[in-house]
Amino acid sequence: MANEESWKPAKTDKSERLFQLTCVLLYSERGLTKRELFHAVDSYRNDLAKSSEDDYALNKLFDRDKRDLRDMGIQVSNPDPKSDPDDMRYAIAADTFLWPEDVKFDAQELQLLNLAAQVWAQASLSSEANRGLVRLRGLGIEPAASDMLGFAPRLRTHEPSFLPLSQAIEERVEVSFDYRKPEGETSKRTVQPWLLRSIDGQWLVMCWDKDQKAVRNFLLKRIVSKVIFRSVQVNEKDSELVRFESPSPEKVQEAIADLEMHTASQSAKLRIKRDSQAWFHFNLLDEQGKDAEIQISYMDLHLLAEELSEYMHDITVLSPPELSKALRSRFEAVANAHA
Amino acid sequence: MPKLKGFNGEDRYNFLLALVGYLGHRGEVSVEEVSAHFELDANYLVKALKSLNDATAQVSGFEEWPFYIDIDLLDEGVVSMTTAEVIDDVPRLSTRQVAALSAGLSYLSSIPEFAANADIKTLIEKVSSGSGLGRSELISIAPGSIEAGAETLRQAILSNRAVSCEYINRKQEKSVREIEPLRIDLTGGVWYLRGYCPINKAVRNFLIEHMRSIQILDREISDVAAKVGEIEDATYVAEATDTEVTVEVTPEAYRLISEFQTISEPKDVGSGTIRTQIKVGHLPNLGRLIAKYGGAARVIEPAEAREVVRNYALSALGAHPHEPDREVE
Repeated sequence: MANEESWKPAKTDKSERLFQLTCVLLYSERGLTKRELFHAVDSYRNDLAKSSEDDYALNKLFDRDKRDLRDMGIQVSNPDPKSDPDDMRYAIAADTFLWPEDVKFDAQELQLLNLAAQVWAQASLSSEANRGLVRLRGLGIEPAASDMLGFAPRLRTHEPSFLPLSQAIEERVEVSFDYRKPEGETSKRTVQPWLLRSIDGQWLVMCWDKDQKAVRNFLLKRIVSKVIFRSVQVNEKDSELVRFESPSPEKVQEAIADLEMHTASQSAKLRIKRDSQAWFHFNLLDEQGKDAEIQISYMDLHLLAEELSEYMHDITVLSPPELSKALRSRFEAVANAHA
Repeated sequence: MPKLKGFNGEDRYNFLLALVGYLGHRGEVSVEEVSAHFELDANYLVKALKSLNDATAQVSGFEEWPFYIDIDLLDEGVVSMTTAEVIDDVPRLSTRQVAALSAGLSYLSSIPEFAANADIKTLIEKVSSGSGLGRSELISIAPGSIEAGAETLRQAILSNRAVSCEYINRKQEKSVREIEPLRIDLTGGVWYLRGYCPINKAVRNFLIEHMRSIQILDREISDVAAKVGEIEDATYVAEATDTEVTVEVTPEAYRLISEFQTISEPKDVGSGTIRTQIKVGHLPNLGRLIAKYGGAARVIEPAEAREVVRNYALSALGAHPHEPDREVE
């Protein structure tokens, strides 16, 4: 029937192959050798029939499928890793595969998860979140009706470095990139990335800087090169990624606290013109009187300058002098770029 | 929300796993219910079920059918699956799925509207414990600042009411105006209200920080406002009278192009500099928008636009007589 044919996914669609591979691996309790697997999965078997003695392409495909499955959270393991390569068995252990029985969600929680999945404005993260949601829907709970209608919080990432960095954090791979300081000086950084953080809409990566031998925070928008995964040559043909040990949660917490202390220790004093946009921006009270003087703390002088440059006609910088200087040099750069 | 028509590759694989787990739990269920539960087109669902029924697994030389779907019942709109207990529950989440969902939750908990919801912390832990690799935080979001008017506006939206407020526009003019609120957007730390403006007869963006003394009115929002369907996600909605402006941005100013509607494919012109064309509604606004990036964003043409930016920068430097910019809202 034509109808029967039309559901079939495109030939290039790997979902059928991956699904069959998963079933076969789950089916066999003691695992299967590669040879057995190549016969058990339709598309492998077809390739096997076509290929010559050398199964190089098929082996590559199998490696790629294993990696795809791992990326999707399905762990293909070797129950007996010391065996001969030809006898090596592959399996999916039920305890790494199945959702833990004691973790349950209620309707309210599923509604929050629904909202959380909608938060990502960026395509790839939005699909990861939605795939996670589809799996959780498999648990069969109906989400509660939303009382958060009319509210659309969105997380945006404008920086191309976001995805490679999140992947490097996940896989604990050292990376390097070029970082441009606000003064214009660019240098190569080699880091062990720990965590991506969003602070007031700005993304930064918290990491261990290998050259500085210290924890450093880098703003993603100042990363001006591709993010390179570091690797070393292990022999003539192959190279291996340079991995690192995950930092302890305590270390990460300490680094977060350090950054907060750093922010608290830096402050600027501004005079704000009454009833101006800046007055509204800083949410000043509508008291009788003249202009207001306020003190604010900041994480990064140049980020503050960027924020304040929208209100140049409403504010006077009282301190620090570096802030006035940064503002001036930003506007000079703009004037020069448009001369 | 429109139902999905189907998907490919990773999404299809992911769905098949979830579907099998769901049916294992659920027992006999109508096609309609499954399709509503997964927000998926019923035709696609039936196709997917038939493909499950056809799936085979060769084990020790024998052909096995891991899933048996009663096709006669399926034709009557009922799903009934018997499995060989290969998969009888939902799989764990991948690290990336956990990271994306937890970061989304962490973002919600950073918003005052949700901050009171203590469940979010527990929920993040629960989601993480369902990952194949255990706990892992890749992304975290620092608590944001409170926008005073947002809660009142949200109440107005939920009860379909118009609001009145004091609003300061870009000309520094304060006025009392009425807005029919439709949606609150929080993007990159900035709170906007999407609302129908009865004077301009159009959906406009209002910066919530520019609003004061917000009052919920007795009158409901107008029919026109209520009929506004999907609200676009882009902060800026283009209009026919817009000026096309060519800009070049370095990474420090990439944000500019994702906040605008670009009309040409952004092109890399070397060393991370991207050139594209954006639409600008009101040219005098361009000064403030471009100058913010301190030279990382540059207008190439038209000359008129370059001049606007230069004059804005010069006036900020005090080297030029102050010319306040004008903006509609």
